[in-house]
Amino acid sequence: MPIKSQNSSQIKKEITKINQELYERNVELAIRNRTLSILRKMYDVINTSLGIGETAQRLIEEIVQDLKFKKGFIALVDKQSNLRSIAVSTSEPEEQQVLDAFKNPFNKFTVSLKNKDNFCVYSVVHNQRRMTNVLYDILVPLVDKEDAERIQKELNIQTSILYPIVFANKVLGVFVLGMDKHVGYLSRAERETLRELIEVVAIAIERAEIYADLKEANEKLEELDKLKDEFISITSHELRTPMTAIKSYLWMVINKKVGKISGKIEDYLNKAYISTERLINLVNDMLDVSRIERGKIELKKEKFTIADLVNEVIDELMPRAKELGLSLSAEKRPGLTKVKADKDKIKQVLFNLIGNSLKFTPKNGKITVSFSKKGRYLWTDITDTGKGIAKEDQQKLFTKFGRLERSLVSIAESGGTGLGLYISKQLVNLHGGKIMVESRLGKGSTFSFSLPVV
Amino acid sequence: MAKILIIEDEQFVRELYEELLKGKGYQVEAAADGEMGYKKINQGGYDLVLLDLILPKLDGIGILEKLKQEPAKKPNKKIVMMTNLSQDEVIKKGKSLGAVGVLVKSDLTPDEFIKQVKSYLE
Repeated sequence: MPIKSQNSSQIKKEITKINQELYERNVELAIRNRTLSILRKMYDVINTSLGIGETAQRLIEEIVQDLKFKKGFIALVDKQSNLRSIAVSTSEPEEQQVLDAFKNPFNKFTVSLKNKDNFCVYSVVHNQRRMTNVLYDILVPLVDKEDAERIQKELNIQTSILYPIVFANKVLGVFVLGMDKHVGYLSRAERETLRELIEVVAIAIERAEIYADLKEANEKLEELDKLKDEFISITSHELRTPMTAIKSYLWMVINKKVGKISGKIEDYLNKAYISTERLINLVNDMLDVSRIERGKIELKKEKFTIADLVNEVIDELMPRAKELGLSLSAEKRPGLTKVKADKDKIKQVLFNLIGNSLKFTPKNGKITVSFSKKGRYLWTDITDTGKGIAKEDQQKLFTKFGRLERSLVSIAESGGTGLGLYISKQLVNLHGGKIMVESRLGKGSTFSFSLPVV
Repeated sequence: MAKILIIEDEQFVRELYEELLKGKGYQVEAAADGEMGYKKINQGGYDLVLLDLILPKLDGIGILEKLKQEPAKKPNKKIVMMTNLSQDEVIKKGKSLGAVGVLVKSDLTPDEFIKQVKSYLE
């Protein structure tokens, strides 16, 4: 149709229509922008580790303020199956006065999920959005109908809308907003905005709840850990106290400090004494393991010659070696074996390794200690002509209770706690060294550990 | 001869240590609880005090704290802790309050106990 024949009023109508559409689009864009900025503020709230109450409070304030609602609150389902408000937007002082007069029904909102006539409950139970022009529907049975009408009038709430807060198919609670206009005045964009915001609220609440649970679980674990430490400490003390007395008095009699004793008496008392020492060693081992696992071992490092320490240990173990018919010696490497380490702990390791060799080497066997330097580490090797260890068993050696056979016979034969090698490994590792074994069944074993050289 | 004070609540252990030390010719006094122990340590003048940490009425650390606040009337040369506890923190605290060492009772034979006492008395 040629332009000339178009009526000018028709063109005016077109322009008006286009202007109208433009205006509406602009409004939607503005709402979109506002949504994005609210979402950003909400994400900021979520990313701070606030408790659930504070998170919800900040979120509801943002939403009510930015979207210009009259009132809003968030209620969550608690462990007693009640719907309880955890956050309420703040009102102007005059409006707050009115609410105070009616005993603050929003802040004190607690309604059992059995109250099916309450719209909040309905929304939660049926996972449905709801809406009402009657505030009483929101507040029943906390206030009566007349009071609800008064509140509604004073706060100028026209329509209330309710959204269930859902996370992973679970309804956590309900989000209630009161507007001073009719719901029909909410544009599509505004309604979409609201839906998005509610989803974010759900995420925020779920996250805050998980965080709170985690914190509680952590606190309980710390408490348990402390209790465990106390228990071990007190038990060790209580066990060691009578053992001190037993060991000491037995020692006095055996060492003839109170007169002569016949062979049989001496024999029996010796057995009792050895048993007490085993008990004490067991308690000490358990304490060591507990301290190692708690990271409570402190190393007192000093420079010393490890060959000298080995000789000390050999001197102490020589009587036992002689009894068992075993030869026990260390090679002399003057000047080679200076290390920096905790002397007591390394002595413990040497006692463990040489002691093991004594245990597992049959009569007429030989145990030798030798040294070698590899790079910045000094290696100490304890070689025995014992029965050796099968390849598959070698991995279990340095673990807790890593006995090779779990039979009752072998427990009886090997004695000890099964913790010695585990403790030795931890102690050597703490020094930055390594511990390992080379062995073949029937061909004896060499246990080696390294320490940083001075 | 050196004067030694033993503060230990376990009767058998206290009597044993008293007997061992007297047998070596030392002058020995003993206390069976923290309050009595504090009275004696406060009077002071001992060459060596063997201080158990777990005590009724006032524990070993408590005694050391009181001494830090108010020094003994006559000084004590050395205070050594005795314990079967394994809590390193407690032992560290004792050392920071003036104890010069610690003996783990269950680890010592009577001979070793005497050896340790002698080395502290030097």
